[in-house]
Amino acid sequence: MKKVELTINGLMYTFYVDDQLVLLDLLRDKLCLTGTKQSCDRNGQCGSCTVLVNAKPTHSCRAKVADLDGADVISIEGLGTPKNPHLIQEAFAISGAVQCGFCTPGMIISAKALLDSNPDPNTDEIKKALRANLCRCTGYKKIIDAVKLAGRFLRGETTPNQERPDSFAGSIGVSRPRPNSLTLACGVAKFSADIRMDGMLELAVVRSPYPHALIKSIDTTKAQMTPGVVGIITAKDIKGSNRLKDDQPLLCDKKIHVLGDAVAIVAAESKTQALAGVEAVKVEYEVIHPVMTTKEALAQDSPQVHEGSMNLCYEHPQIKGDAEAAMNQASTRVEAEFSTQLIHQAALEPEASVAYMEPDEEDNAKLVVIGRSIYIHHHLMVLQEVLGWNNIRYEQAFIGGQFGMKMDITSEGMAAAATLHFRRPARYVCSLEESMQITTKRHPFEMKVRLGADKQGKLTAYTIDFIVENGAYTSAGKSVLNRALYMLSGSYDIPNVRAKGRLVYTNNAWGGAARGAGPPQVNFALESAMELLAAKLGMDPLEFRLLNSLKPGGSISTGQVIEEWPYPECLEALRPHYQRACREATSNKDGRFKRGVGIAGGSFGIGRGGPDRSNVAVELNSDGGLTVYGSIADPGEGNDAMLTQIASHLTDIPPEKIRLIICDTDRTPDSSSASGSRVTYMSGGAMIKAIEGLKTTMEEIGAKSYEELVAAGKPTRFLGSRVAETTLLDTTTGQGTPFESRVHGVQMAEVEVDTETGAVRIHKITAIVDPGTIINPMIVEGQIEGGVDMGAGMALREHYVHGKTRDWIGLKFPTTRTAFDIDVILLQTPRKRGALGAVGVGEFVLLPTAAAIVTAIHNATGGTRIRDLPANPQRVLESMKSPSN
Amino acid sequence: MGHHADTKTSDSDTTAAQGASALFDEDGFLLDPDAWNETIAENIARAQGMAELNELHWQVIDFLRKYYMSMGKAPLNTELRKGAGLSLTQIERIFPGGIKFGARRIAGLPNPKSC
Repeated sequence: MKKVELTINGLMYTFYVDDQLVLLDLLRDKLCLTGTKQSCDRNGQCGSCTVLVNAKPTHSCRAKVADLDGADVISIEGLGTPKNPHLIQEAFAISGAVQCGFCTPGMIISAKALLDSNPDPNTDEIKKALRANLCRCTGYKKIIDAVKLAGRFLRGETTPNQERPDSFAGSIGVSRPRPNSLTLACGVAKFSADIRMDGMLELAVVRSPYPHALIKSIDTTKAQMTPGVVGIITAKDIKGSNRLKDDQPLLCDKKIHVLGDAVAIVAAESKTQALAGVEAVKVEYEVIHPVMTTKEALAQDSPQVHEGSMNLCYEHPQIKGDAEAAMNQASTRVEAEFSTQLIHQAALEPEASVAYMEPDEEDNAKLVVIGRSIYIHHHLMVLQEVLGWNNIRYEQAFIGGQFGMKMDITSEGMAAAATLHFRRPARYVCSLEESMQITTKRHPFEMKVRLGADKQGKLTAYTIDFIVENGAYTSAGKSVLNRALYMLSGSYDIPNVRAKGRLVYTNNAWGGAARGAGPPQVNFALESAMELLAAKLGMDPLEFRLLNSLKPGGSISTGQVIEEWPYPECLEALRPHYQRACREATSNKDGRFKRGVGIAGGSFGIGRGGPDRSNVAVELNSDGGLTVYGSIADPGEGNDAMLTQIASHLTDIPPEKIRLIICDTDRTPDSSSASGSRVTYMSGGAMIKAIEGLKTTMEEIGAKSYEELVAAGKPTRFLGSRVAETTLLDTTTGQGTPFESRVHGVQMAEVEVDTETGAVRIHKITAIVDPGTIINPMIVEGQIEGGVDMGAGMALREHYVHGKTRDWIGLKFPTTRTAFDIDVILLQTPRKRGALGAVGVGEFVLLPTAAAIVTAIHNATGGTRIRDLPANPQRVLESMKSPSN
Repeated sequence: MGHHADTKTSDSDTTAAQGASALFDEDGFLLDPDAWNETIAENIARAQGMAELNELHWQVIDFLRKYYMSMGKAPLNTELRKGAGLSLTQIERIFPGGIKFGARRIAGLPNPKSC
């Protein structure tokens, strides 16, 4: 032990510490300063734990406390509070730099260190200063803007009040800071791993080292004797179904389907003791040959991943017109195969959950589960069935990014099972490596396409056969396949379509909801085929797209006749930028570094696809405020701002008196999930209906206030429901009406290719998006910038390999070094059935990105078009060996 | 495609029966709880092999409807027990399919699988 004296946030402390204690754990565990985050398994990769030590930005996860005697430490809590924030914290909130907010405290600390030494940094200096701070949400653009604004604040050039929209600015089309942004920027928002309770058990999980095996025996004898271990739970201890999905156990009982499958939960007084307990559990496995590719899985003699189920677990056709006849008659045809890769959504926050028993009115105690779900009412029901315990309340903590992966239960099941079993609070905080193992991924697609056109260049036929690697479990696999069919024909009028999608089990990581969930993959194939066909026809890619854009009255591949389709307007908006970029690229074709331009479009359906419903309630408060109730997760998209601004607009109640209750199954109506880019459209729509109910009632009785409403004996709370007029697809034809409305857009990538190394630098992406009425432009821009950045990762870098990708460097996480210039141009065509004319935007934005970048590479090098993602340097160099096609 | 309560295998979206027209999902749950009426409830009950809905059934159905239409979600079992004035065992016994897949389905609440 060593005696260490430290000043932390201005207070002096004396600690007696062992040599191994790091500053991060001192701050979080001993001082409860949980604004300092941890994401990268203490490897110094993420910057979430950055604090100032003697004015220098320091990774607190690597700083041994024993070496810090006499040091002056400032954590995020030392800068400001939501009521009295530091100017840098204000700048982050006002600039829209706070999405999920998990990285924000570390970012702000690094920004402070920079601004303390350089009061007026330029973009490159900011990028350099923040190069060790990771963010998945923003694409870094608004963070860089925030640091510049903070500099202006600190230099006295402007003030937060001058930059913040005033109360007279209105609420629609106004870039108000998110209501939660200062809570996040000041580090006081509680994420799951920040929650501690007296007597809380820490959990660790025994996981399979094999991807495919039978469990022959589990011996917990030695583990039970491990110091600090309270007990061990295996499948036989779970009183309910023990099934998270039909094919997915919470704890495996007989068979392992994927590396990392859970076998037992070890509960102990400390995490270290729980991990020691895990080491002491002996599991005897009988290893089975793993099925690691779809080709292997579809072979006749392949082992079955799941007993009682074929590896080909689902297929769905789509037939519109007569594609074969039309293809035969087409004057020009192209045929190609494309593939997209397994990708981790890579929310920065590791998986974590807490559970405890809450006294109830009766003997039947309530199990409270706190976690990272974006689908709390559904996950409540799943946990009820899994555990055989009905009296549960699910409470959502702040969520550190999600991008689809929090549509599935992970850590909640373990924490809830342990609390129920031991009747003690329990916390399960996963490592990053473990988080990667237990979460869903973006499904890989293999796609074989043909696209045909007539002599005028009008599309006549499209066929696509695609295989979706499901991985070990069917999370959203069927839905992802269907969503690919819903949006198969992209932005275009294709009279004849034939498609078949097949979903195939393997013993690999399992796919699930992942930003876009199916359409990004098939859109890459379609937009790439559009380029091939335009080239073969000798047509300009933009004109070719304009010629073939769907128009109101036409139908998509599901046969649905559409009413609104502002895609041509997006293309026209791009035209001057496209012409400028092409001119510039032409003058940069010589030498080692070659410039290229590529465009791609897309349209994205809003909602779950098929039946969809959201319930939201509003309540007029006695102080004249309004409370909105709905299970509307906000893992960074800005749903808090959307609800607040729409409610304020419709009621004339100031934004600061709009209160949101959105995280608790006991207190909220079921608004379904925060997925499918549906929240503004469906839950915003439901809230509008609830407000209409309130206003109608008040008008009927002439009430102007809460008191008059109550005096008239009327309710103050009103429920609104938004039900989509949609259907699933017919199982034999793939025809139906999956969505009421869509978001549209087109993107242009300008890239520079190093022809010696194959490295691609994105010079700029121009994104034209028409999401209907825009409630908060800054938030919409932030979604687009982050989505495009994620699309660029899909295009160029990211490829998750289960069991081998273990950290953020291995994942090729985007950094300020990979960040690029993004020009967002917003069009606003109000949608007839949108929420005040608005639809959603969060997922659409990465649909066109990969195809646009790959086309730009192709146009830069003149090599073969890259058809398999990611277009890494090796593939770029390979493509340059062959002539253009 | 959704189907009508008394034509379980039909793909028809709009088939009307006994003055009641509504869409159901693949598990036989009403797609829109607002489209529910007593005739539809009786049709669903018959499809589940129940000869008729008696007073006790209606006690449960009425509570589920009232709760859902005001709270926008299904009740927990403890709330159902208190609200319907019956024990959970009783409710499970009188509804084939139990609470989730019997009583809730007849009351026109959404499918718990996809809530």
